[in-house]
Amino acid sequence: MDVPAVPAHSEAVLHVSGLRKSYGGLEALRGVDLDVGAGEVVALLGPNGAGKTTLISIVCGLRRADAGTVEVDGLDALARTAQVRGRIGLAAQDTGVYPVVSVRHNLTLFGQLAGLERRALRTRIEEVAQALDITDLLDRLAGSLSGGQKRRVHTAIALLHRPRLLLLDEATTGADVETRARILDLVRRTAAEGSAVLYSTHYLAEVESLGSRVVILDRGRVIADGDARELVAAHAVPVVELSFAGDVPPALWDGRIGEDGRRIRIPTRDPAATLAELLPQIAGQQLTSVEILHPSLEAVYLALTGRRYDEADSEPTRENVSGVAAT
Amino acid sequence: MSLRRSSAILRHEMRVMFTDPSTAIFVIIMPLLMVALMKQLFANTLAQEGLTGTNGSEFAVPGMAVSFAAFSVGYAGFSFFRDHGWGTWDRLRASPATSVDLIVGKVLPTVAVTVVQLGVLFALGGPLFGLTITGSVVGLVLLIVVLALALSAFGMLVTALARTMNQLNAIGSVGGMAMAMMGGSFVPVSAMPGWAQTLAPALPTYWAMRGFRTLILENGTVADVLVPVLMLVGFGALFTAVAAARFRFEDTKVYWG
Ligand SMILES: Nc1ncnc2c1ncn2[C@@H]1O[C@H](COP(=O)(O)OP(=O)(O)O)[C@@H](O)[C@H]1O
Ligand SMILES: [Mg+2]
Repeated sequence: MDVPAVPAHSEAVLHVSGLRKSYGGLEALRGVDLDVGAGEVVALLGPNGAGKTTLISIVCGLRRADAGTVEVDGLDALARTAQVRGRIGLAAQDTGVYPVVSVRHNLTLFGQLAGLERRALRTRIEEVAQALDITDLLDRLAGSLSGGQKRRVHTAIALLHRPRLLLLDEATTGADVETRARILDLVRRTAAEGSAVLYSTHYLAEVESLGSRVVILDRGRVIADGDARELVAAHAVPVVELSFAGDVPPALWDGRIGEDGRRIRIPTRDPAATLAELLPQIAGQQLTSVEILHPSLEAVYLALTGRRYDEADSEPTRENVSGVAAT
Repeated sequence: MSLRRSSAILRHEMRVMFTDPSTAIFVIIMPLLMVALMKQLFANTLAQEGLTGTNGSEFAVPGMAVSFAAFSVGYAGFSFFRDHGWGTWDRLRASPATSVDLIVGKVLPTVAVTVVQLGVLFALGGPLFGLTITGSVVGLVLLIVVLALALSAFGMLVTALARTMNQLNAIGSVGGMAMAMMGGSFVPVSAMPGWAQTLAPALPTYWAMRGFRTLILENGTVADVLVPVLMLVGFGALFTAVAAARFRFEDTKVYWG
């Protein structure tokens, strides 16, 4: 009580607390808490429909929250949107560039809106262009670029004013290998320069290769928050998964988890030993597949939700959002 | 409002506009053609009104200029819908530009286009159609500017009401046609049925035409066109107020379909 209360988020560039948002009857965010510190990359991972875009849109003032608070650099981002916008760089999920003018004009417009002076802007355009390897494209019409090239221009715009908080929403969705590598590299470098980066994605592998802190968002809730490797170590052991053409042989059940009647998953620290032990019991059965699921974020997701992570996951139905069991 | 930001948007919008000059052509070439075709018709109408020494261009030039400016009133909204189609609208909203910066930067170019359009048509009216303007040139410029502002404000109102590009075109065309037809710029008020003559003053185009007539046929001074100018300012303010009340920056506008 006598210790002065220092808020835990005092160094956080982004501090989100108790954020809620519904679209009609659909609860897209159900009380989200999240911090991103200066110099930190946080991967916001979640299947499609998890609420990533809704969260990011609220942070930069594009959508209104129903409840909760958002602070950027200690400023109330929901009330002082104008002040906060200058500190945020957003590359939204949908690519937004003016196709009928050149790449340079696109960058110039948004640099001017962010308040950059003529000379500073010109130098900065060269810098971000180099970082994203679009220098040769600067004088091309943005509309004449390939999807991946447009995506890089789209991302470059967000960086122009060296934002304190960089928000990238599915920056690499549909991007080619080269673009993906460029963007991931840039994310690391931007954080190294002291910005806070919130990087939303639905690709598990990307988060693993980023090796950063990860916040897993699922159906509008944060279900995990921590260093990716630590989360894996804490939540997951390898799993041996057996699938059968018919029902799982009763002998195999033995208190183990099965997803449905035809598949069984056996968590084990030693998959080979487990398989050897199981061999006699599966002899003569119509086995359709044997899979060893190595511990990964996918296993973390499975352990926490009881569902397999599907990168092409469809959006939650109204039934399971409101908690009424779907049949 | 920030002058720097709105002028950045303005310059950008001009650049985008010049990539597609079809509208500018529509509002200049078409009225010239119409004046050439209909000048004689209007010469007869003016003669019936007892105005001698006229050749029809006295009505035809301002009439067609105002009518085509009115027809293209939805153009003010294009730039908003385009941004939604290009995914740049949220980008603008997420930038430090305020809503006022955005509106000013996007609407002023359409005001400028209308001013240039009306100016060019009046300037060509003399050499091409024998139009003589005996009244005040300052009054003419003033009238052109306030008319352009009023029509652009109406365009903003249409934009605020429309959710899709099709609606923008539909409401813009109906509104623009009504302005041109009922306000007495496409057909002279004197040639309209009585009920329409009663209705005409409810439209900004009526006041624009009255002002142009004063300047062209009645040696009008700036003071003589003060009433039309103030009426147009009033219409502009009214349209702006309603548009501002109805405009929602977070609404999604549909460019296609
Ligand atoms: N404008 C909207 N109107 C209605 N529902 C929406 C809207 N935007 C998103 N949703 C719904 O909210 C949920 C979360 O969506 P979103 O934030 O886009 O998730 P993500 O970005 O993780 O894919 C989804 O079920 C989606 O269908
Ligand atoms: Mg999304």
